[in-house]
Amino acid sequence: MSCGVLPRRSAIDRILVSVVDDDESVRESLPDLLQQFGFAARAFSSAEEFLASGCIDQTRCLLLDVAMPGMTGPDLQQELIRRRKTIPTIFITADVGMTVRQRLIEQGAVECLFKPFSDTVLLDAVNSALRPK
Amino acid sequence: MDVQYEQDAGEIKRLQRCINDLVCLLALPALWSGGDISQVLDTLLNTLMRMLRLDLVSVRLNLSVVETPIEIVRVAQSFGPMPPAHEICEALNHSLGDNSPKWPPLLRNLMGDGEVSMVPLPLGLQGELGVIIAAAQRAGFPQQTEALLLNVAASQACIGLQEARLRSQQKCIADELDRRVARRTAELTAANAELQLQVGLLQRLPVSAWTLKPDGTPDFVNRVWLEYSGQTLDFVRSRPDAWISAVHPEDRETASRSFWEGVRSGQGFAMETRFLRARDGTYRWHLNQAVVLRDAEGKVLKFVGTTTDIDDQKRAEEKLRRSEAFLAEGQRLGQIGSYCWRPATDEITWSAELYRIYELEIGMPVTLELIRSRVHPDDVTLIEKMKLVDQAREGSHDFEWRYRLLMPDQSIKYMHAVAHSTRDQNGQSEYMASVQDVTARRLAEEARDKAQSELASVARVMSLGALTASIAHEVNQPLSGIITNASTCLRMLGADPPQVEGARETARRTIRDGNRMSEVIARLRALFSKKEPTTESVNLNDAVLEVIALSILELQKNRVVLCPELADDLPLITGDRVQLQQVILNLLRNGSDAMCTVEDRPRQLVIRTERDNGDRVRLTVQDAGIGFDPQAADRLFDAFYTTKCDGMGIGLSVSRSIIERHHGRLWATLNEGPGAAFSFSIPRTPAGLAHADGIRNIQAPAVTGSAAA
Repeated sequence: MSCGVLPRRSAIDRILVSVVDDDESVRESLPDLLQQFGFAARAFSSAEEFLASGCIDQTRCLLLDVAMPGMTGPDLQQELIRRRKTIPTIFITADVGMTVRQRLIEQGAVECLFKPFSDTVLLDAVNSALRPK
Repeated sequence: MDVQYEQDAGEIKRLQRCINDLVCLLALPALWSGGDISQVLDTLLNTLMRMLRLDLVSVRLNLSVVETPIEIVRVAQSFGPMPPAHEICEALNHSLGDNSPKWPPLLRNLMGDGEVSMVPLPLGLQGELGVIIAAAQRAGFPQQTEALLLNVAASQACIGLQEARLRSQQKCIADELDRRVARRTAELTAANAELQLQVGLLQRLPVSAWTLKPDGTPDFVNRVWLEYSGQTLDFVRSRPDAWISAVHPEDRETASRSFWEGVRSGQGFAMETRFLRARDGTYRWHLNQAVVLRDAEGKVLKFVGTTTDIDDQKRAEEKLRRSEAFLAEGQRLGQIGSYCWRPATDEITWSAELYRIYELEIGMPVTLELIRSRVHPDDVTLIEKMKLVDQAREGSHDFEWRYRLLMPDQSIKYMHAVAHSTRDQNGQSEYMASVQDVTARRLAEEARDKAQSELASVARVMSLGALTASIAHEVNQPLSGIITNASTCLRMLGADPPQVEGARETARRTIRDGNRMSEVIARLRALFSKKEPTTESVNLNDAVLEVIALSILELQKNRVVLCPELADDLPLITGDRVQLQQVILNLLRNGSDAMCTVEDRPRQLVIRTERDNGDRVRLTVQDAGIGFDPQAADRLFDAFYTTKCDGMGIGLSVSRSIIERHHGRLWATLNEGPGAAFSFSIPRTPAGLAHADGIRNIQAPAVTGSAAA
């Protein structure tokens, strides 16, 4: 819905979107796109890295891969809930079926996107996640 | 007067005596009747001697009367030894000519010297019978009466002699007749006995024997026929074709035709018919043969023939014919030909089917040259080897070998031959062999192999759903990178001012990801393309690494910890690289799947390559998963056996057949700890894989010492 260009903000007051994915090309490409959207973006290669990063509180939206070695995406979601740090979460995944997607959304995910997804789809999802409920 | 009376009385007495003597003489023939010549002469001479008081009487009978001249001389008194009769007779004859005959000098000593009167009495009308000489040494001999008596005696003698001669002749003839009759009778008896014997033989012959008159009516029929058929002799003789009633109804027409043709043409006949045996009502095959006998003018005299029971032979013939037909049909159906080969003489005999297989005219003489003209040039040396091998050996060995034929139209036939060595009755080595055209089977095997490898490469190591997922998975990551980077690029270029550096970077990443994708596609295509099985030198370690590269992402996703243990000194192997990679991929996937529920320990997947005994190479994929049921160990590799809910169950069975085609083996073992290990071991250079369509190995048993096939 919203157009692609947002008013410039300084690095300090950009909204932080965190990307957690074990795939290198995702960590490489998504932050740049998010920055184009006007967000600040940081990428983490694993759920454990994110939890240890200290960026949890600042993260206003989480882009989360589902299948990862070690702690999986849903595991991280549950961990954050346990820590009472609910962050609006958008799952990005290559290989789950519709039933899993449904379950993830029921369990509180804002959205579950299938790779590859277009930029507009991503933007809509992020905006959706940031919209006050 | 008295003297005259006395003289007259004396004369009357003399005359009376003469008449008495005459009567006596006339009665002689009666005396002689039934007697022979010697009797006649005997009586005659004695009578004459006595009657006429002769001093000598002789008789000579000529050859006309008797076979040897008879000469008898009687003298009144014996004066001692007499000269032989015929000399006396001759001398007497001489003396007869004299005017005053005297005793021949021969007799003078005996008889005195005085004057002798000799009277010759010719016998027969002209003296042809002989002569009687009566001689007396008294004067006045012969007196009238004496002369009369002598003449009468002579003629009576004639009569008697004639009669005697006739009688003797008659007797001779009668004797001769008797003798001849006796001889003839003996001959006839012998002949009869002979005939009886022959007839007896005819009756006892083990065949029915019979004769026919020229018009075909039987006249002699031996007992054998009558007993067999139950017909009576009268019945058989009643009509020429009465016997036909004993013929099987189906054979009557031809039998009758042959019979009548033979009889009417006078050629005789030979035909086979079934005759009814009276004893048990069964029909038995018989051979009827008749030959013609002609007389001196060539007219038909008789037909002579036999009827021989050939039923047993006929049945045996029929069985043989059926068994031959059965065998021939069997050979034809199975496309199996057979032959017999004698190495010593190169004598080869083929069955009809073998000629057909070789596409040669049935019955052509078979030589090694002929065989060579058909056998594929590459396989010709086999035959040479066989001969050499045979010459090198003494004992009996069996051979099995496969070879190809090259037909005139350039098509190829695959042959499978099995030969069994025997010795014939002279101890000569002989091979009996069966050759089967296995072209169809071979082609079917090749088609099956092709289908299997297609199956392996298309389906193949996993289900279609999983395949799609796998492909999607492989290409997804680079693809989403591309889209994301491209989107970023556009935005960067659209910014004010454009972020060219950033755009360039995103473009670079896009191209990189694009390349990565095409690599993946290429690998996937290679892995799953339909390819003919090829043979090449394969570095198994490299092949393993490629497969790992292809599946690493998925393995990592499943948190599988891959531990490659690849031997440094692994030799190259000969085989199909792609097929082997499919097996490795299958094993890795299975190992990974086996651990998908494991949470309490690392999901460790070991892949190990190493040298194996006997110039082989072994690869093992060992997981730490749920293992398998030992009871189901042998079913693991069965087609369609799967423990996965979405599995097709063809992975391991296809893998096994791939490994088997590489002359190796694939097996599974349970670890000491959790999980299982799947291993395959293949020879470096499997025999027979050297060239694609080559000859399989000749299975010749080991020869002690000398170099064998």
